[in-house]
Amino acid sequence: MPEEKTNYMEILFKGIWTENPVAYQVLGICSALAVTVKMSTSIVMGIALTIVTAFSSLLISSLRKQIPSNIRIIVELAIISSLVIVTDQILKAFFYDISKQLSIFVGLIITNCIVLGRAESFALANKPLDSFLDGIGNGLGYSLVLVSVAFLRELLGSGKFFGFNIIPQFIFDAGYQNMGLMVLAPGAFFIIGLLVWLKNSLPGISKEER
Amino acid sequence: MSEADNKAPGKNSKTNVILFALVLSLICSLLITLAAVGLKGFQIANIELDKKVNILKAADLIGNKKPAKEKINKLYDTHIKAVMVDDQGKILETYDPNSLNFYVFEENGVIKGYILPINTRGLWGKIHGYLAFENDGQTVSGFSVFSHSETPGLGGEIESAWFQKNFKGKKILNGQNKFVSVGIAKGKAANLSEDKQAHYVDGISGATLTGRFLSEGIKQTLIKYDSVSITFRHRQIKTQKDENPKQINLKNTEQ
Repeated sequence: MPEEKTNYMEILFKGIWTENPVAYQVLGICSALAVTVKMSTSIVMGIALTIVTAFSSLLISSLRKQIPSNIRIIVELAIISSLVIVTDQILKAFFYDISKQLSIFVGLIITNCIVLGRAESFALANKPLDSFLDGIGNGLGYSLVLVSVAFLRELLGSGKFFGFNIIPQFIFDAGYQNMGLMVLAPGAFFIIGLLVWLKNSLPGISKEER
Repeated sequence: MSEADNKAPGKNSKTNVILFALVLSLICSLLITLAAVGLKGFQIANIELDKKVNILKAADLIGNKKPAKEKINKLYDTHIKAVMVDDQGKILETYDPNSLNFYVFEENGVIKGYILPINTRGLWGKIHGYLAFENDGQTVSGFSVFSHSETPGLGGEIESAWFQKNFKGKKILNGQNKFVSVGIAKGKAANLSEDKQAHYVDGISGATLTGRFLSEGIKQTLIKYDSVSITFRHRQIKTQKDENPKQINLKNTEQ
């Protein structure tokens, strides 16, 4: 079934790149500002969000014919928050150190507009498997932005990569200084802005050309 | 969801909405309850282990790399002893709700120092940690944070090694042996006047409030545990006279 396959790939690719949740849909900015100081936290956050979006989309899509439309947002939120709480409990039980680092941000996945956004705009109108893939695609797209922002912020803000110093001492001796702005949330704001600009001005995939 | 299946066209009828909401809430709450109850054992074990790690860290027995679980338990059991005293500094054998709880750090049966639990408010939530002192009852030998809800990257830096390392060697007494506590400076401690440098650690940029709350919390804890520190100071003076520091034993001085 070559036709079906391209269809799935397209859904994935749309979420990861062409309709990237952060860069194109401009969703999930708040958490992208908060967890991108370090690479390690942003990766775990990306994985957690991917899992939650994928499974909430899957569940909501399989219930889409039953969910009464006048309480659908409440239903979506109930499903999403239950999933997030369960994820948080699992992290606390088996990945304690990481869950400590992420602290409140796992709980805040509930308020991440990407999850609800995908449930509303995709899962309610599509088949379960498509929705699941859409969730994964969007989760990965979000992770991609988080990781790129975190890479720049960690490098410029603390001269590190995954917690290892990579800017040699002699550069500091020569007068180089870490950029304090990058450690603070406004630093992420600038980087995300620049990334969105860059992404949307790349030839062939920009909004205008499609 | 079977009842909803049958009436798919009338899914927006009032009874159906209520039924759906009820079934969904029931399933969701069951799921959460199961996860919370089923995983509680693992979580408590993790928290206990993490407490031990941070007590050992404050006592400078382990560095930033977390050793294996067995090693942590072994280190903890051989070196750390939980102690309860009343407000006069007398050791209590039985549990008393008003007792002061802290930890004594031993090496080969000799008391090397003591570790006080720090529980204070931070900017967003409680900060729990440990502050270790040397045997002399006035020199800080280590600090660690075990749980907090400060902003990652800002106040959250209180759990990072560079911040905690600075506590080592700070004094809670000034030159006249008066209590001054240790605090977190605004900016670098090196920029403070010279008489203050022994009592302040480098602050975290962008986290002035966290520093202020933590300084205050440490001060309150030290005031509360003053009798413990005084006991250690007295013992230090005694042992200096005897010139036999190996004989230090908590019980001897209590009598």
